[in-house]
Amino acid sequence: MRHALDFVLVTLVLTDLVLLGSSRLTACIRLVAAQGVLLAFLPLALTWPELEVAAMALAASTLLVKGVAFPLVLERAMRDARARREIEPFVGYTPSLLVGLGMLGAGTWLADRLSADVVRSPLMVPVALSMILTGLFFVISRKKAVSQVLGYLVLENGTYVLGISLLSETPFLVELGMLLDVFVAVFVMGIAIFQINREFDHIDVDQLDSLKG
Amino acid sequence: MSPSLVINVLWLLPLVAALVAWRLPSVRAILGVILAVVVVLVPCAVWLVALSLRLGRVTAASQWLLVDALSGFHLLVMLVVFGLSAIFAWSYFGAEVAHGHFSLRQARRFGALWLGAQGAMTAVLISNNLAMQWVGIEATTLLTAFLISTHTTSASLEATWKYLMICSVGVAFAFVGTLLVATAAMHAHTGSHNALLWTELLAAPERLDPLLIKAGFVFLLVGYGTKAGLAPMHSWLPDAHSQAPAPVSALFSGFLLNAALYCLMRYLPVVEGAPTLTGFAPGLLVFFGVVSVIVAAAFILFQTDAKRLLAYCSVEHLGIVALGLGLGGVGTFAALFHTLNHSVAKSLAFFAAGRLGQTYGTHDMNKLTRTLHHSPVWGTGLFVSLLALVGAAPFALFMSELQVVMAASHRHAYWTLGLFLAGAAVVFVGMLRRAIAMAWGGAAAATPRPGFALLDLGLVLLCVAALVTLGLFIPPGLNETLVAAARIAGGGR
Repeated sequence: MRHALDFVLVTLVLTDLVLLGSSRLTACIRLVAAQGVLLAFLPLALTWPELEVAAMALAASTLLVKGVAFPLVLERAMRDARARREIEPFVGYTPSLLVGLGMLGAGTWLADRLSADVVRSPLMVPVALSMILTGLFFVISRKKAVSQVLGYLVLENGTYVLGISLLSETPFLVELGMLLDVFVAVFVMGIAIFQINREFDHIDVDQLDSLKG
Repeated sequence: MSPSLVINVLWLLPLVAALVAWRLPSVRAILGVILAVVVVLVPCAVWLVALSLRLGRVTAASQWLLVDALSGFHLLVMLVVFGLSAIFAWSYFGAEVAHGHFSLRQARRFGALWLGAQGAMTAVLISNNLAMQWVGIEATTLLTAFLISTHTTSASLEATWKYLMICSVGVAFAFVGTLLVATAAMHAHTGSHNALLWTELLAAPERLDPLLIKAGFVFLLVGYGTKAGLAPMHSWLPDAHSQAPAPVSALFSGFLLNAALYCLMRYLPVVEGAPTLTGFAPGLLVFFGVVSVIVAAAFILFQTDAKRLLAYCSVEHLGIVALGLGLGGVGTFAALFHTLNHSVAKSLAFFAAGRLGQTYGTHDMNKLTRTLHHSPVWGTGLFVSLLALVGAAPFALFMSELQVVMAASHRHAYWTLGLFLAGAAVVFVGMLRRAIAMAWGGAAAATPRPGFALLDLGLVLLCVAALVTLGLFIPPGLNETLVAAARIAGGGR
């Protein structure tokens, strides 16, 4: 199962990098959905070959929330707002990719410093930290509200990996509470995007600048 | 009565009431339910605090819920803020209903979100499980986001979006911090299923891995600090406070910020107890506290919007609380006392600014002139609350700030003291100048004066009396609670 686990982790990093280089919002939403599906494998891969009920329930709810519900909400928000692509991000796509690689390095360095003894795969903590940093960068560097939500989701996916890798027996209720919070968060953000769009006729966050000082 | 039942009522009653408010047939009924919930919960909370002072702590739900002096004190502050705001909402929204600005649909959404937020904040305070505490904080963000845009305007939506994004991302960092602390706890108590319980962490902090705890606290401070509005993570705060309806602004300033800071208070004794980390967490708190005071002072000088001025003033006061916590000793007591004083004074200030803003039709301080003449009740309320907020004697905030100054000189932290006093002096001048100009300056406004209501007068008198009384003496029961709470947050320092 080590190989399967490493495969999932490496694919997560690759989706991050492709995301940083994509301008079409549909593609971005699908990439984040793919991350959600990959995350659903993690709790199963960790308890393999035993199939615990708690792990299976967590995997199923992750798949349902991150793999199915989020893309639906976001595509709906994108359609309502008639926003197809991120026109001019604050940081261009090629520099973004370089930053993404830098984040991977930073995540590895930070994980090395922390030296939390992780039994499963030495990749887990570095990947988690780099996803958190990439998500943060994505939130800051993009202009469309939908893109910011996507960045927030990548960040949350990072904390999900970190939670699973650090705590061998996280209380199931905690993981579920967290998932519920993110679920509601995305819904609330979706409603906010809908209202902003109705009020402003656009969802460009850089034009939300009337409040200053 | 069993204590665990009462603890569960504390957080479940608001949630049930939220569902009820969603379906009530009139605006007045919704505002009545909001007030009734506080009236029912105050005796419950007082009883629990008294019990916890006697027993040390009261737990429920197999130790997932906990009431001790620290959470009990914050519960009381929260109920004070919610109670005052509920009374004020009666008069504030009453005026809006009269002008047709507040429909039943808006009122239902407001009532449900308000009560839901109360339930979530209570859950934060009484949660002994640190991950559930985080879940509660995130829930307060989501529930209060649409309270800002109760009146849907482009400015209020902008504020809502900034609040949602900045606080969600910030609080995600707090979750990373929580995970790192929990990892340290798991390594220390191998095989324990309760690694996330605060009481377990506190039982043997000397066995925790200092590196993990150190990294964890940095993440926690950035995360919860964002929600608490500590500079430089405060950028969402002035927008949200200025765009929300006045009762919501009071709630944000009076308690939402404190709830996030409360989470840090829980971690403080744990980090202090970890090996080789003595002085690490307090040092960071002092740093962020001083930065908040100075940044707020700089922005206060150039504000023209009354509610933004009050928002930056909140950054200053939360900075003072963080500073007091960081200094320790008498500073911890002062920080907790300051929390209560600031919540009362700031609530009154937002009430007055909101009500005056309603009749003047603007929050621009250059147009809010001759307020004493325009509305003797709210004009006085605004002036007195600003006077209290700048730290003038004999109000309670003067006493708590004086104690922070004493704590700094006990620690021989003269640089900190100097920077704090400089910041406070700038705030004093900047705000007092505005307060005097609004009270007496300029020409009388042409807008019709608001009618006199006994309820408004009672509310203003109640707040002012509380601020003066607390400045002169602290009732023995409150003093005992504060001392016990300070002992918990200070970790016996």
